[in-house]
Amino acid sequence: MSTLWLKVAVLLYGIAALAVLPAVLYNRPRWKYLALPACVAAALFHFVSLTETLAAAHRFIPVEATEIQAMLALLLALAFLWTYGIYRTLSLGIVLLPVIFLLGLRPAFAPGQSVLESPVLRSGWIWLHIALLLAAYAALILSLLASVLYLLQEKRLKSHRTGGWISALPPLATTDSIALKSLLIGLPCMTAGLLIGSLLAQQMYGVSYFSDPKVLLSFAMWLAYIAMIAIRRVAGLRGRRAVFLSAFVFFVMLAVWSANQVSSVHQYAVRP
Amino acid sequence: MSLLVLGVNHNSAPLDVRERLAIPANRLADATRTLLHQPGVREGLILSTCNRVEFFTEAEGAGKPDLRAFLQNYFSLTPASVEPYLYELREREAVRHLFRVASSLDSMVVGEPQILGQVKASYTVAREVGAVSTSLERLLQSAFTVAKRVRSETEIGSSSVSIASVAVDLAHRIFGSLQGKQVLLVGAGKMSQLAARHLMQHGATQVLIANRTASRADALAEEFHGLAVPFDQLKEHAPKADIIITSTGAHEHVFTRTDAERILQRRKGRPVFFIDIAVPRDVDPAANIVEGAFVYSIDDLQQVAAANQAQRSQEAAAAEKIIALEVDRFQQRLQTLDAVPAILSLQQHAEQLRLAELDRARNKLASLTPEQQAAVEALTRSMMNKFLHAPMQGLRDAANSGDMDALNAVRALFTRDEEKKG
Repeated sequence: MSTLWLKVAVLLYGIAALAVLPAVLYNRPRWKYLALPACVAAALFHFVSLTETLAAAHRFIPVEATEIQAMLALLLALAFLWTYGIYRTLSLGIVLLPVIFLLGLRPAFAPGQSVLESPVLRSGWIWLHIALLLAAYAALILSLLASVLYLLQEKRLKSHRTGGWISALPPLATTDSIALKSLLIGLPCMTAGLLIGSLLAQQMYGVSYFSDPKVLLSFAMWLAYIAMIAIRRVAGLRGRRAVFLSAFVFFVMLAVWSANQVSSVHQYAVRP
Repeated sequence: MSLLVLGVNHNSAPLDVRERLAIPANRLADATRTLLHQPGVREGLILSTCNRVEFFTEAEGAGKPDLRAFLQNYFSLTPASVEPYLYELREREAVRHLFRVASSLDSMVVGEPQILGQVKASYTVAREVGAVSTSLERLLQSAFTVAKRVRSETEIGSSSVSIASVAVDLAHRIFGSLQGKQVLLVGAGKMSQLAARHLMQHGATQVLIANRTASRADALAEEFHGLAVPFDQLKEHAPKADIIITSTGAHEHVFTRTDAERILQRRKGRPVFFIDIAVPRDVDPAANIVEGAFVYSIDDLQQVAAANQAQRSQEAAAAEKIIALEVDRFQQRLQTLDAVPAILSLQQHAEQLRLAELDRARNKLASLTPEQQAAVEALTRSMMNKFLHAPMQGLRDAANSGDMDALNAVRALFTRDEEKKG
């Protein structure tokens, strides 16, 4: 039943991703009345599906890759709705909603079948560790996306061109604010997530935990995250250089994500 | 409906003719009242803006109001002085004209938003003096709906077409809200003052003024409720401003690329918008390369305005299609309304006949039980409705298709007795 709800959610994300195009690119504001309710309903079904999946597995931790992917998609959907609530802009949806749709496809149509192996997953703290880190990843993706939109709008303004779909993008001040605020929200999430993870691993594995490649990369990502915020704050970094910096941290994040394969302390689940 | 429009606009008449016919807002009610008292006028409305003066009337019965005579009398004009500039439209063409006017398709700047407000203001005045009732009320409400549809379904009003509004639009694209933004006015050109005024109307609060003539800077500072800064300290004050408008007569650049870099450095990368209205230019075009600096010269602003104007023209074609559809719809509605009195009188006539026949048979039916009497009542009503169904549908169809001959024939067939009585 839970994958059925996820399939419905993915379908609704797809509808929202399509409906947001005329609303943003063709200045047809009525389409937002389809895009927004579809996204809200999708997030709701998504949440129900995720909760049901985890409840059925008698755990509240997304350990399977597809579960983590589904949770990241849900967090991104919530981030999109959050930016709409604050800035009244749907523009991020033109990229974010297709990403959410694609992230949701595999969990909906080819979910993993792993079972828990590690006893550490019985702790509620591990759930917080995963949720906070995924929230930080979602914030980083949102920030990168906003920085790209900033760059596109900046280029258009500098070229003195008018019209075209780029004219529908939000003002520079808005994308700049989204990029910075999402980082500022992501930082405490990442810090707390890593701290909780470190304490749990310390209990379980002792000091050997700190030589794990994923752990090392995670701390490198945390430093890059802090450096990025500091540079943005102190030097007022915007535009092209901000995109490069965000992209760099994003690639570090991808490296951390894929480091599960070589991490000894992040092998929680096995195929039955 | 017998609608007539007589008027002049920016296409048909030069400014001096429009000036002579213009009716100020404080005299509009009197003028509308006078129009209403013209022979043959049942309803009337006057639309007087800087680009048009138009008189809309709905004729009384078969009468034809002489609006030319009204014009000549009211404005004390000779026929020759105004006749060549007048246009007169009737019925369908008049409806189409009002829809185009309200939707800003007939405006000098196509898509400008003020005209709808002006039509609404004229309507309010006409209603207050009792000059608008059924026909014009219906027409004007439709015009407002059509104008709203054109605005929402096309992008006719979405882009700015004047230099000052383009500047404001660009500022919005950079800063979002202009609330609390600082403007630095360098020089005292008329165009730069206009741009500054527009920016302030949209929320910019602080204005700094730098001028080589200190007294002129002080005068402008007073006018804008701003602050005059010495011209030789311009570069020190520049980083405070989010928008810098320049219009000096200097022959060399007032702001170079290096100046722009320094400004951005001191602003910690916060964007700055240079609006350079001077010729020769006050801001080095190379300053536009600096990240965070957006430099627009007068030519750039004009190009944006021209591109927006071209885009509006494209949207106007789409708007014309909407208007054509809406005119058809309005005409069809009017025709349907034409059938309503005939349908009502037919129903009333048949009901009177039914009741009269029941009354005549009352004695014969007295022996029936109340249930049986109710059944007879229901039977007669049902027969009447079934008998009337076809002619009433015929009336509706004739009205919908605009077949006046068929409409009159059905009317004549089924309301003859009543007309005789009447």
